[in-house]
Amino acid sequence: MSSAQALTAFEGLATSEARLALAPLLALGLGVVLTLLCDVVDALRAARTPVFLSALAAAAAAEARLLVAPRAPGAVLDGTFRADPATAAWGLLFVLSVLLAWLASRGTRRESRAFEPEHDALLLSAAAGMMVMTGALDLVVFFVGLELLSLPLYALCAFRRSRAESVEAGLKYFLLGSFASALFLYGSALLYAATGSVSLVELARLDLGSPLALAGLALLAASLFFKVAVFPFHLWVPDVYQGSPTPVTGLMATGTKAAAFGFLVVQLTPLLPASGRTLVAVLALATMLAGNLGALGQGDLKRMLAYSSVAHAGTLLLLVAAGMGAPDEHGALPAAFYYLAGYLVSAMGAFAVLARLESEGRSTRLEALRGLAHDRPALAALLGLFVLSLGGIPATAGFLGKWFVFAVLVRADLVAVAVIGALLSTLALAYYLRVIVVLAMEPAPEDGVPAPERTWSLGLATGLCAALVLVLGLLPAPFLAWLRP
Amino acid sequence: MLALLTFLPLVGALAVALLPRRAESLARLLALLCTALVAVLGLWVFVRFDGARAGFQEELQRAWFTLSGRSAAIPVQLHLGVDGISVLLVALTVVLMPLVVLSAYGHVRVRVKEFLVWLLVMETGMLGVFVALDVVLFYFFWEVSLVPLYFLVGIWGGERRLYATVKFFLYTVAGSLVMLVGVIALIYGLGSASVPELLQRSVSLEPAAQAWIFGAFALAFAIKVPILPFHTWLADAHTEAPTSGSVLLAGVLLKMGTYGLLRFGIQLFPGVALDAAPVFLALGALGIVYGALLALAQRDLKRLIACSSVSHLGFVVLGLFALTGPALRGALLQMVNHGISTGLLFLLVGMVYERTHTRDLERYGGIAAVMPVFALFFVFTVLSSAGLPGLNGFVGEYLILAGTFETAPLWAAVGVSGVVLGAVYLLMATRRVLFGPLVHAENRALADLGAREIGLLLPLVALALWIGIQPGVLLAKCAPTLERVLERVEESRFTARLDSALPVSTLPSEASR
Repeated sequence: MSSAQALTAFEGLATSEARLALAPLLALGLGVVLTLLCDVVDALRAARTPVFLSALAAAAAAEARLLVAPRAPGAVLDGTFRADPATAAWGLLFVLSVLLAWLASRGTRRESRAFEPEHDALLLSAAAGMMVMTGALDLVVFFVGLELLSLPLYALCAFRRSRAESVEAGLKYFLLGSFASALFLYGSALLYAATGSVSLVELARLDLGSPLALAGLALLAASLFFKVAVFPFHLWVPDVYQGSPTPVTGLMATGTKAAAFGFLVVQLTPLLPASGRTLVAVLALATMLAGNLGALGQGDLKRMLAYSSVAHAGTLLLLVAAGMGAPDEHGALPAAFYYLAGYLVSAMGAFAVLARLESEGRSTRLEALRGLAHDRPALAALLGLFVLSLGGIPATAGFLGKWFVFAVLVRADLVAVAVIGALLSTLALAYYLRVIVVLAMEPAPEDGVPAPERTWSLGLATGLCAALVLVLGLLPAPFLAWLRP
Repeated sequence: MLALLTFLPLVGALAVALLPRRAESLARLLALLCTALVAVLGLWVFVRFDGARAGFQEELQRAWFTLSGRSAAIPVQLHLGVDGISVLLVALTVVLMPLVVLSAYGHVRVRVKEFLVWLLVMETGMLGVFVALDVVLFYFFWEVSLVPLYFLVGIWGGERRLYATVKFFLYTVAGSLVMLVGVIALIYGLGSASVPELLQRSVSLEPAAQAWIFGAFALAFAIKVPILPFHTWLADAHTEAPTSGSVLLAGVLLKMGTYGLLRFGIQLFPGVALDAAPVFLALGALGIVYGALLALAQRDLKRLIACSSVSHLGFVVLGLFALTGPALRGALLQMVNHGISTGLLFLLVGMVYERTHTRDLERYGGIAAVMPVFALFFVFTVLSSAGLPGLNGFVGEYLILAGTFETAPLWAAVGVSGVVLGAVYLLMATRRVLFGPLVHAENRALADLGAREIGLLLPLVALALWIGIQPGVLLAKCAPTLERVLERVEESRFTARLDSALPVSTLPSEASR
């Protein structure tokens, strides 16, 4: 981008459309600054939480305004950033995931009270990063969003400094994440070298058949596959997910995945050549297989959910395969959104339940959950609901998400892929059912159970997730209406 | 009306769930009242159902959500209705449910409230499967009905319950997920999710698409029924399930499979059904014999009945795919009969198990001497199950075999041998349980059936007798609907002949691809 272009971009900020489009980002940015400020100024210390929540609320309101705006701003800032009802819906999803992670973390943060302001500020920054990622119409802008999300996550992963696993998780994620970032930059550079542009709008018009451009696209895809943990780039997931504080794991599993898939499905998929469809479909099925097989052998629920998130990424990648090389005529975009929304509330709910168990001093190993339905029926019922939703049983959000994914596959004439995917989902149920077996069907251990401790924030997080799981599973009509162009 | 019928149990389940854990007797009473009310409503629907009309009755349509289709949006509706096929199965379900709740007094002592909640949720699921006239809704109920049984077997079942319940769930889910792809292909292929519309349009689908969608559906139903190679989950699930679970499993859940075969296999794709009929006839007939042989070899009383289910459902499959009027009517009647007879058998076995705590045939013998009333009911039930003329089983089996003889005499003959084998294993089991010397001392003090237990059995016994003597009432309700199904089959048989006689006529369909 030349300096003259940059100048017009800044002039562009002054238009009302740009203000509308960037309002959520401004709200979050302001939130970051104010949250940190509140910690420095003694008189404002009590205002930190309200400031954090109002920043999120303001961002959500701004996204909601975009959602219902009579005329969407579309591409702003010299065509580098897009804001329309579709990105607004994704933005709301990100706000929700950050809110849930925050609620879940309030119940669990004990040792690091001193850094709470930083924690909250990092969460806000991560939300802004996700929004920039899905709205990006330009590879450089996307990269800014990616780093805006990733850097806070590196820190958040390592947030429980006294635990070696947490620090290890942070370091691992940092090393691999920077590697992925480097791949992305390299890919963008190759694309720029081949075509002279980093704008997705222009790239979509150009012929990307040259070897250089294809190599660039492949690197971009690989970097994103790294982020969303697609086979064979998924091996970092279990360790990082297990070591990180549980609410952060939830955010990584849901928010990061949503943002990366948002970009992948909304922006990048139409650019990918249709000839690569088979490859991506095979990768997707391999990811499902790897995730499910990995999860089958796990004795720790957190690690199991980590592998299950890999399997879910595989399912989402099927949508990329279905949508490649053509404008979205099979509805891959709404399907991806619905699937991710369902996955977000189910997985976040499950992680929040785990966070709650951890805060009570319980282990997240499966045998420690034995007979939970006896002494904590409500918690066990919630976890059961989330697990069934992850497994895609009807009346939950997960079922309709799965339905829409398979619908896209069938409409894109990938019936064989759909059938294999369906059978692989059966495999997933084997370990989801094991959780329920442990929770409800095995007798509780004799030894005493620590007294439950009431934490309103975790209760609110799990309750909200459960309500959304059911609403998304039973009353999809309003959400589908939003998603239709 | 149908919506009330379907969702009232769910409301009941919520009400029971909200009761305090200690209020067990109140929970039982509430569940019983709820199922009884549903039974009254269901029987009213049955009585009100006009058997002279073939189409769907009591229809109810409410918008649920829409799917974006190729050309136009496809509405998915809360669409309910009954025809001659489903009305019988609805009646069977609503009659069995109060008895199941009542039977739970005997064998469910821990976590009573949860048990009742799952029973009621299951009733909604089962009724929903039968009355749903929207494929999405059908699939929804189909899978939802798995979850309660999973818990019923997994929590209140026998020693190997976890193995049995997970096996049951995974087997069924594998089938239903493949069906999910079929459902989606069907909906997008024909641009509608409504069953009546699909029935009108389905024959216009290309033959290849018809065939594989039929296959996807048939796989799920074959696992559920279960048809021969998929039967292994049944014996485990039946054996380990608590009595109530077994009764529901045998009585209603397996019928979901045969119902599906009839509705979404034969009725929706008559042409493919015609082509696939030899396979299903063979599997059905082999299932009859193989199930009977399995039953002969069992030492476990409950497993024996489970294997007999495989054999009996073989008859139903045989009758369905014989594709003649009598056989179809017999198959439908036999679905109801099997629910009654096998339900009774499982109830009786449950009652004696509550007293002896063993299912091993060797541990019985001579029970008739100490439990004469039990013996009376047991013999009656065995005779009904074995197809004694004058009782319900005879009518169904006779119609099936007679109807099958018209199109597939060979398989009918194999089926007849199953009748003989059925009499053998059932009567052998009766002898080993009831008669002979009372060798085991602990069996000397067994108490005979109490008033609750007799009250539980009497309605089903009365039904078995009534159907045996007056099968016409049930057959009249379903006859026009089944006639319509057969007409569709005959039409496609005719077009198939036409196609083979005039190869040219296949050209337009190829051009349209």
